[in-house]
Amino acid sequence: MRKSSIIFFVAILSLLSVAGLAKSKLIFAVHWSDYQVEGVKDENGNVKVKGLRQYVEEYQKLNPDIEIEIQSVPFDEYLKRILISHTSGVIADIYVLYSLWGVQLVDSGILDQVPKDIIEKIKSDFVRAAIDGATIDKAVWGVPVEVDNYALVYNKKLLQEAGFNQPPKTWEELVQMAPKLTKRNPDGTIAQYGFAFLSGWDSAVVHPYLALLYSNGGRFFTDDFTECLLTSKEAVEALEAQLKLFKNGATDPAASVWNFPAGKIAMMIMAPWYETSLKLGLKDQYEQTVGVAPIPYLKKPATTGYTWFIAVDSASKNKKAAWDFIRWMTLQNAGGFTRMGELMAKNIGAIPPNKMDIGFFKTELDDLYTSVFVKELDNTYQEPNVAQGQEIKTILMREIIEAWNGRKTAEKALSDAKTKIDKILAEFYK
Amino acid sequence: MTNKKIFSRHRSFERNMGAGYLFLAPALIFYSLFFVYPVLFSFTVSTKRWNMLIPLSRARNVGFSEYAYLLKDEMFLGVFKNTLLYAIITVSFTIIIALVLAVLINNAKFSVLWRFIYFAPVVTPQVAIGTIWGYLYRPSNGLLNSILGLFGFKPVYWLTDPNIALFSIMATAVWAGTGGSMLIITAGLKNIPQDYYDAARIDGAGPFKQFLHITVPLLSPTLLFLTATGFIGAWQVFDLPFTMGRNAPAKSVMTVSWYVYETAFQSLRMGRASAGAFLLFCVIFAFTLFILWIFKRGGIKGYE
Repeated sequence: MRKSSIIFFVAILSLLSVAGLAKSKLIFAVHWSDYQVEGVKDENGNVKVKGLRQYVEEYQKLNPDIEIEIQSVPFDEYLKRILISHTSGVIADIYVLYSLWGVQLVDSGILDQVPKDIIEKIKSDFVRAAIDGATIDKAVWGVPVEVDNYALVYNKKLLQEAGFNQPPKTWEELVQMAPKLTKRNPDGTIAQYGFAFLSGWDSAVVHPYLALLYSNGGRFFTDDFTECLLTSKEAVEALEAQLKLFKNGATDPAASVWNFPAGKIAMMIMAPWYETSLKLGLKDQYEQTVGVAPIPYLKKPATTGYTWFIAVDSASKNKKAAWDFIRWMTLQNAGGFTRMGELMAKNIGAIPPNKMDIGFFKTELDDLYTSVFVKELDNTYQEPNVAQGQEIKTILMREIIEAWNGRKTAEKALSDAKTKIDKILAEFYK
Repeated sequence: MTNKKIFSRHRSFERNMGAGYLFLAPALIFYSLFFVYPVLFSFTVSTKRWNMLIPLSRARNVGFSEYAYLLKDEMFLGVFKNTLLYAIITVSFTIIIALVLAVLINNAKFSVLWRFIYFAPVVTPQVAIGTIWGYLYRPSNGLLNSILGLFGFKPVYWLTDPNIALFSIMATAVWAGTGGSMLIITAGLKNIPQDYYDAARIDGAGPFKQFLHITVPLLSPTLLFLTATGFIGAWQVFDLPFTMGRNAPAKSVMTVSWYVYETAFQSLRMGRASAGAFLLFCVIFAFTLFILWIFKRGGIKGYE
């Protein structure tokens, strides 16, 4: 090979490596679906509602030295992605994290400490439930991006047909109304559920129960997490309140909340993110059919909630760049709102936890569906950030389902759950 | 023979040994990399408290405490019982039904078409099978309950009744697995010489006696293969119970692989999950040896 050719190749390689080195690359892992990342587009491919990609491109234009790669992983695979990436050493720099996973990630030293200015902004600008969600051992570990809570979603038409003009306010009213809203097939199976739970998904089982527990004045754990309080009178009463619906025939373990758009469910407890599915399922019947109200209470109005927060991996090589991007995306005023707030309210259909965004996106958040969830933020008790949160949640789900199936009494199911959960707590808190 | 000659032969043997190992090397490397190493790694992990988020070297050593926990854990013992039941019932029924179908189809008209029909579920993904059967099993308006209703029977909660759900999943597994076994048995049937049947017929043996005294004994090696591989697969079953049984109380439908998966990736207890996987490996190994021993006692050889 000629000398000039060698010099040429070396020069090209040097240029390429300098160009490569000049840019800081950030990997941003999210659990969002395609349209939430790429934006909602019309048939010609024009963006109607911005997705994460459009915000990232905007940031890259403003900061040519930063390159952001979005890695979208389905929710079911998301925690596995984090685990495997840490085992293989190919980590993401920025994560959007479910609050329940937080304790384990913090204890393992995975999350970077949040800069002080960001903590101050979070404490002053965000709703309490979301701050609680991002707080682990009294420290804030990320910027909340999405807060979800639960409300009663009911079928207005079915209630009216049964002679009810209002949804129930108390749980007792709900227990009285539900059998009248239940219809059976000739073979005895339920054709129309007065009330529907969902057996196969931990959140759909545990969160509505926790809402009733808090409504009954109960608590899940002691403040120091050394003991589970599921055998308290309030906790047992809360599960017995659910069991009344099984005993009076208004529901059964085969019920599924996903049948609501088919007009087969009169009442259910649901989260804000189900709005889009309801609109798609019910189409022009949506407004006439869907009603939302606070969860009927036992002793006081209460609901439960959970948070997603954005955090930086402590092993990231570009922590400063990552936090700068998070500041721009989640905290910077973009004209009376934050960009993340806009993404949540307009595209993802979740409640943005920043008070400024809640005030700004009135059209999106004050509709017949989401407005109730927003109002209920004041009554929202955050799902506790406890060590082995997912394992504990699964244990409680299993025991609740045992009770729903009549295989255990409420007292026995919760006592068994407590025994198992206390063993886990003893591993981590004593 | 002179010493020189002996020495020369010895050296030649040594050279050939080296060449032999060289030829074996690809298989040995593959086997070590994809079997020995994972098993040893899994065993090492099973003695640690590790959540995959920290380096394994930093994980606390807990000895055999995870094994002790599992052997006392009501849930693990329950899922172990479920898996044992699942393995015994699905493998037995699959092989018996496949054997009968193979014999019936072997000499039937359009045998290729029948084989295709019965084999179709084998190439269908298990998740798709689970979803389709989920519709058939629906308590309200499901096909099975509609048929039961025609005969005046009460509806059955196929996938949510804790006493029935596992059996419903087993029925689906038998349906899905019969075609594959049937095809292998059909291949075995083709190897049985027709003379035996002709001789038996001349001696006055009817179809049932021919089946019992010619077909079954001569198919024994095939049946041994199907039993051994069937049990290995059934012990590891994950997808069908996971897709179909999620609405039933977990204790009534969960299998060991599902338990291991959940312990690893939801509870982040990789040590306990590895201990569970290692116990499963030991059970499958022992169970397979047991099956081979039973067949050997019956005069069937071929896998020693």
